[in-house]
Amino acid sequence: MIGATLSDLGLLVPELILVGMASMLVLAARRIQRAPVAVIGTVLAALAATLVAGWDLSGGARTGFGGMITLDGYSQFFKVLIGVTLALAALLSVRSIDRDQVPRAEYHVLLLLASTGMMLAVSALDLLVVYLGLELMSICSYILVGIRVEKPTSNEAATKYFLLSSFASALLLYGISLIYGVAGTTDLASIAGAFSGQDTGSNPLLLAAIGLVTAGLAFKVSAVPFHAWVPDAYQGASTPVAAFLAAGSKAAGLAVLGRVCLVAFGSEADVLSVFLAGLAALSIVVGSFIALSQTDMKRLLAYSSITHVGYALLGLMAGTPEGVSATMTYAFFYVFMTIGTFGVISALGERGEHLDGYQGLASQRPGTAVLMLIFLLSLTGIPPTAGFVAKFVVIMSAVRAGFVVLAVLAVACSVVTAFIYMRVVVLMYMKEPQEEAPSRFPVAVSAALAVAALVTVVGGISPGILAPWAVSP
Amino acid sequence: MTAYPVLTVTTFLPLVGAALILLFGGERLARWIALATTLGTLAVSAPLYLHFDKTSSTLQFVESRDWIPSLNIAYALGVDGISLLFIFLATLLSILCVSASWTAVQTRVGEFYAALLVAETAMIGLFAASNLLLFFIFWELILVPLFLLIGVWGGPERVYAAVKFLIFTLAGSVLMLVGIIVLYITLGTLDFKAMAQAAENLQPVHQAWLFAAFLAAFAVKVPMFPVHTWLPNAHTEAPTAGSVILAGILLKMGAYGFLRVSIPVLPDAVELFLPAMLVISAVAIVYGAYVTLVQTDVKRLIAYSSVSHMGFVTLGIFTLNQSGVEGAILQMINHGIISAALFLCIGMIYERTHTREIKDYGGVAKTAPVYSTLLALFCLAAAGVPGLNSFVGEFLIIGGAFQTQVWLGAMAIWGVALGTAYLIWLYYRVVMGELNSGLEGLRLELNAREVATLAPLALLAVCLGLYPECVLSYLRAPVTELLAAGVIP
Repeated sequence: MIGATLSDLGLLVPELILVGMASMLVLAARRIQRAPVAVIGTVLAALAATLVAGWDLSGGARTGFGGMITLDGYSQFFKVLIGVTLALAALLSVRSIDRDQVPRAEYHVLLLLASTGMMLAVSALDLLVVYLGLELMSICSYILVGIRVEKPTSNEAATKYFLLSSFASALLLYGISLIYGVAGTTDLASIAGAFSGQDTGSNPLLLAAIGLVTAGLAFKVSAVPFHAWVPDAYQGASTPVAAFLAAGSKAAGLAVLGRVCLVAFGSEADVLSVFLAGLAALSIVVGSFIALSQTDMKRLLAYSSITHVGYALLGLMAGTPEGVSATMTYAFFYVFMTIGTFGVISALGERGEHLDGYQGLASQRPGTAVLMLIFLLSLTGIPPTAGFVAKFVVIMSAVRAGFVVLAVLAVACSVVTAFIYMRVVVLMYMKEPQEEAPSRFPVAVSAALAVAALVTVVGGISPGILAPWAVSP
Repeated sequence: MTAYPVLTVTTFLPLVGAALILLFGGERLARWIALATTLGTLAVSAPLYLHFDKTSSTLQFVESRDWIPSLNIAYALGVDGISLLFIFLATLLSILCVSASWTAVQTRVGEFYAALLVAETAMIGLFAASNLLLFFIFWELILVPLFLLIGVWGGPERVYAAVKFLIFTLAGSVLMLVGIIVLYITLGTLDFKAMAQAAENLQPVHQAWLFAAFLAAFAVKVPMFPVHTWLPNAHTEAPTAGSVILAGILLKMGAYGFLRVSIPVLPDAVELFLPAMLVISAVAIVYGAYVTLVQTDVKRLIAYSSVSHMGFVTLGIFTLNQSGVEGAILQMINHGIISAALFLCIGMIYERTHTREIKDYGGVAKTAPVYSTLLALFCLAAAGVPGLNSFVGEFLIIGGAFQTQVWLGAMAIWGVALGTAYLIWLYYRVVMGELNSGLEGLRLELNAREVATLAPLALLAVCLGLYPECVLSYLRAPVTELLAAGVIP
């Protein structure tokens, strides 16, 4: 690294904390097979990283490592989000690791390293660092998906995920190399400088470069038509891992997409908004309509997460700082409601994975049913939940950008998604229980669900709460 | 004004009650908490009626706090004469709902009353809101408790009815969301009064689209022909309390939306859509009445009669003259009282007979004279008999309709005649004649709690019939302002 000094390391303290904890867990792996040390260590490291990342959110941007890494409000925002995601995912997995006989230390090391990759990617100012961060995240995620080695579905999911994701990484890398060919640099700000004089229409190479990079990143956030891996991966993975992927890796992917679109491709906003509008429209429509026919909860949520990515892209599509802020708000609230929903599924165990398992839940476990109701309402976007606020800001940004038809399409599809989520509510509240009442949840799981529900409700009641921090790069 | 935030307290007290019920809910305790909360809500709202200035059309008891500073949208509440009446109706009907469900609801009692109280908060908040975003939030909030009320405690077809209700209303309201966003971006504010003042900044073509978007939401809620098909299912399958809230308040929300948003903010579009709205209203009156005539299920009959009655309301609103609009609002209150009372009456007898088929009844007067008398009062009131409340509302609306188009007035009168027919025929089949053999041995007469539940509504029906000015005096100033600012066709 050119010109890296010791003080540059100050920019990476959250990542260093996570890597440090990961190394300790690796060293102590043999000793902690049965104790809850790994969970506690991971949660503490995640919280420490979150605190450090969130410390002085208003501080000015600093860059280091030769301008490759930055610590600005944007990266801090997402680092906090990733840190919280990690902590919640670790808390949710207390029971499932025991049930699935997953090696404790390795599991948590992978969670920690994947989060490190996400944090690195969101603070990158250079396409190569972006790539490195995303790859670190992806490689850890492949193993996490396939970590239940006895289960064929888990192996199948990991293989599919690996193959498709590698293809996407190749697309991304190819795009980066084309950009280097056109612009002579991989630094985001310099790319913008080199592109600004060019005429996109007459330069197919430029168009291809932008298209490939966008496609590679669209794969990471699983926008249609780059979504095929998601349902299998979520279904095959254990539920907390699915939650971690659905929340964390999408948030990181959206963050990267936001920064790349706004900083590097800012001058090509017209071309880009067409790409992104297409991705958003397809994701919203395809995700919601395919989710209609799902009976497996994780597949259902996988398709609904595709829809949600479509909504989040509505913000980026505008290509304005306000639009990116809208997407940040969306990503933030989306993370909590998604983790909450997956959390309830995970807490219910086997029963939670099938739609029929929810029959009569409200008469057996009223509290759990109310939590699930809150998360589902939020996913539907019904006020006063955070999901409504999220939907409101992105649709506002789409209308501001002039995409009124797309906005109408988006809200029309939200009626379809309402039908999907309300099916679960119907089963929970309006049917008789068919199975025995689920056992009590571990404290860690209840705590994670409570945090997710709290954010979902508070975010809905005071919609302005995020605004000071959701500032685009 | 006092520093006591009366609207906020009135709006959110039921929510506090709901939280208490969910936290400490035993069955018995839940009922008492719910009753105390609904009575308490009426009590804390007393200053509204004591200190209200009827001569002013400005918002009163205004509260405003920073809410979303980044968008410059405030948490703003305030009432004028129109919204005040609906807040009163909502608080009153909530009490009656609690009372009516006292023995009728036996399963998951705590959750039932919690849902009812959340619905009360949404109803009051909707009418108290003085900006469109807050209005929208309460508008959507009411869906969830009603969805659960219908789907969990309803009749045999409850799940279908609940899902249909939710999907229909949601489909309408999502378009309104886009409309709200467009309004906000164009006008830079969502405050009702400020929007009305800035209305000339809207291009007529934009207004037309916006009107259509809001119409989608309001028409489903009213419900206007032809998007009324969710109503018979929902009203019929809902438990009594759910039907009362649906008929008493929810149907009024759409019409209230026309008065708050469409007419003041989109005057050019109103002019454009006016003929269509009038025709749809007239069709709803006559078509609704004919469909009502052939119903064989008591509850379904009352449900369909709402389509016809709400047709009067929209007809009155879109006559856009003082008499028509005042009559429409009065008629909304009247319909809230009468249809709530009719649903309560049906619920009370259903609790004893467990049948809603008209042919299973007959001769009820033989064993239940008090019930029969009250039912007669409400049926006559609904039919528009002079001296009872509906007469005044319908008279004003028909007067307004004749001023606009003679044939509209004629359609409305036809609707009144049909209304008399289906109500009297219903009464004849249920109450008169020989006692139906299936009813022998049943104690059909009302108990004291039930009489107390119906008494306030009976009193209101008579009072408003004899002295409608007690409602109309609240409406004069706001309606005058509404019509002065808007278009006059």
